[in-house]
Amino acid sequence: MDDTFEIEAHALAQVLDELDYFQILKIGQGAAPAEIKAAYYRESRAYHPDRFFRTESADLQEAVGRIYKRINEAYVCLRDDARRSKYLVDVSGPDRQRKLRFVEASEQELKKDKEQEIGTTPQGRKFFMAGLSDMAAQRFAAAERNFKMALTYEPANANYKAKAAEAGKLVKSDASVR
Amino acid sequence: MAEGEIAIGIDLGTSYSCVSILEDGQPVVIPNEWGERTHASVVSFLEDGTVLVGNSAKRNIITNADNTVYSAKRLIGRFFFSDEVKKAQAVMPYRIVEGENNSVRIQVRDSVYSLPEISALVLKEMKAVVENYLGYEVKKAVITVPAYFNDNQRQATKDAGRIAGLEVLRILNEPTAAALAYGFGREITQKIAVYDLGGGTFDISILEIGKDVFEVLSTAGDTYLGGDDFDDRIMTWLADNFLKEHGIDLRLNKYCLQMLKEASERAKIDVGKDAVANIHIEGICQDPTGKVMDLDATLTEAEFNKMVMDLVQRTFKVCDEALQSARMTAADLDAIILVGGPTRLPIIRTSVRHYFQKDPMAGIDPDEVVAMGASIQASSLLDAKGEHYLLDVTPLTLRVGTVGGYTDKIIEKNTPIPIERSKTYTTNRDGQDKVKIRIYQGESNKAAECEMLGEFEFSGFRIAYRGEVRIEVTFEIDTNGIVHVTAADVETGQKTTTTIRLSSGLTEDMIRDAQEKNAATQLARGEAA
Repeated sequence: MDDTFEIEAHALAQVLDELDYFQILKIGQGAAPAEIKAAYYRESRAYHPDRFFRTESADLQEAVGRIYKRINEAYVCLRDDARRSKYLVDVSGPDRQRKLRFVEASEQELKKDKEQEIGTTPQGRKFFMAGLSDMAAQRFAAAERNFKMALTYEPANANYKAKAAEAGKLVKSDASVR
Repeated sequence: MAEGEIAIGIDLGTSYSCVSILEDGQPVVIPNEWGERTHASVVSFLEDGTVLVGNSAKRNIITNADNTVYSAKRLIGRFFFSDEVKKAQAVMPYRIVEGENNSVRIQVRDSVYSLPEISALVLKEMKAVVENYLGYEVKKAVITVPAYFNDNQRQATKDAGRIAGLEVLRILNEPTAAALAYGFGREITQKIAVYDLGGGTFDISILEIGKDVFEVLSTAGDTYLGGDDFDDRIMTWLADNFLKEHGIDLRLNKYCLQMLKEASERAKIDVGKDAVANIHIEGICQDPTGKVMDLDATLTEAEFNKMVMDLVQRTFKVCDEALQSARMTAADLDAIILVGGPTRLPIIRTSVRHYFQKDPMAGIDPDEVVAMGASIQASSLLDAKGEHYLLDVTPLTLRVGTVGGYTDKIIEKNTPIPIERSKTYTTNRDGQDKVKIRIYQGESNKAAECEMLGEFEFSGFRIAYRGEVRIEVTFEIDTNGIVHVTAADVETGQKTTTTIRLSSGLTEDMIRDAQEKNAATQLARGEAA
């Protein structure tokens, strides 16, 4: 291992927590999947721990180990389209520094999200589902009424609000067409 | 290469083991003094205190049944209460007893052995085979495990290596080793599947190989499915027929059971080679009048295939899962590699061809390919020249226990390793001085349906009101697929002092004692099988 590499590795290990995954893999935010994979292979060739298996310096091994774990973490996130788009939003926002490391929503949070979508109360869910079938049948006025009823049970449900507004808009445009 | 500067590759199998070294850049399987290239993973404790390992020990399964241990790999890294251990207790002639912390121990005469100690004796023999060939001592090894092995099983295998006096450079996944042995690594990128049906386990790995990089895209498996299960089907068939004909249940006697088992394994091999097997066991039992009885039967290929069809189908369910995780279909694959003795069976070859719509690759002996790959990796780690890079994955989702018997995902299966992930916990009582977490591996969010790896207790952080102390717990999976858990106080950065681990594993003291015991054990030399 040459000295330049060692200096670079130590420098990189130090700023690891300030880099986003695109920077870790040294690619642009618009990189295509094939570029991501190529970058992952390129960085693996440079930082794979097996290369440093016989390195005497424990410091260097530690630094490379930290870097390589982060390379894997970056790859896992960016190779998946859904995770990648969420991550891109995360690191483009004001909370960037806090969201440099992608955290999957836990199963409980996902369940909560799902509940939030269709409702947490039986009555709310009932009116909401009725509203959805009205929408599908293009009975927009009926849909709006059902969504508003659902909202009386769960006034804070963002999904209910959005659907009610959407139905309301369609009622108006429907009326103007006629 | 200088003496002692060699690392060997060991395939520590359920039924057979194999050892290889690199000679002039080529992997070579090292035979023992009788020219045998694979060695039964059987350990027979002899009257004079010496230990016989390998194919000559296998004959003792019948003649020295109480003191001969086989299929230890099925038990390694398992808890005493697991189903696999209960099943083994019913059929194994050797004594399986409970050790501390729900661990499994084997009792032979007056001595009690842990599973890693038994495997360490197989490893000692493998080490001796190479040393006998080279004429000098070897100290370093890469040991392979099924890709689907969990953390407990990997840790126990690593312990076995250490007990045998080996520095374990790497715990390597068997399918990955096989891919390495086949080489590839040309300019074109290839996607391959490794179908690995061993004596006791089944693994499938999907890899993408581009030049010098071997990237495992996904892996799936079943650690309760292997060639042994095929033997069991023949055994059941033989025993049922005998019961119908003579009214005697051979399964009630462990001695008869061993004779049946041996005959069944031979019948499986014969039926695979010759499409028919003539089974003859002389003097298997006595009838109530004391007359000695023989067992005679003929097994045709059609009958055999019918018996095992559901087992074969089970492997393809696992293949479906692996392909799905890799986001591929069978048609996307460029090549199929077969690994493990049972893949010689025509039923497996035909079914594999049918499922993947492709002829499997031939060329390397399916019993030797894993050891050869291990020796390539062993030498590569020693040289550190970086001729190839293995990008492997963790086979199982790592989870942490939450309230009410549920778990939460920490690191998903098929995530490349090494990897780490942190999670912050806060204290929920005033003056709390300990945080306890349980970690699991498995695909269910219910703790009871996952494998428990251990319980960790963190202490030595600041003591304050509830919610004031935040503890960051870091979960790491290393290149061996082994899990490490550490914790630190978020505010002060102070690492917490203790990480007590409650698991079926061995403590450092136990390993040291075992090393002494292993070193003091004399290996008996058998004779050609």
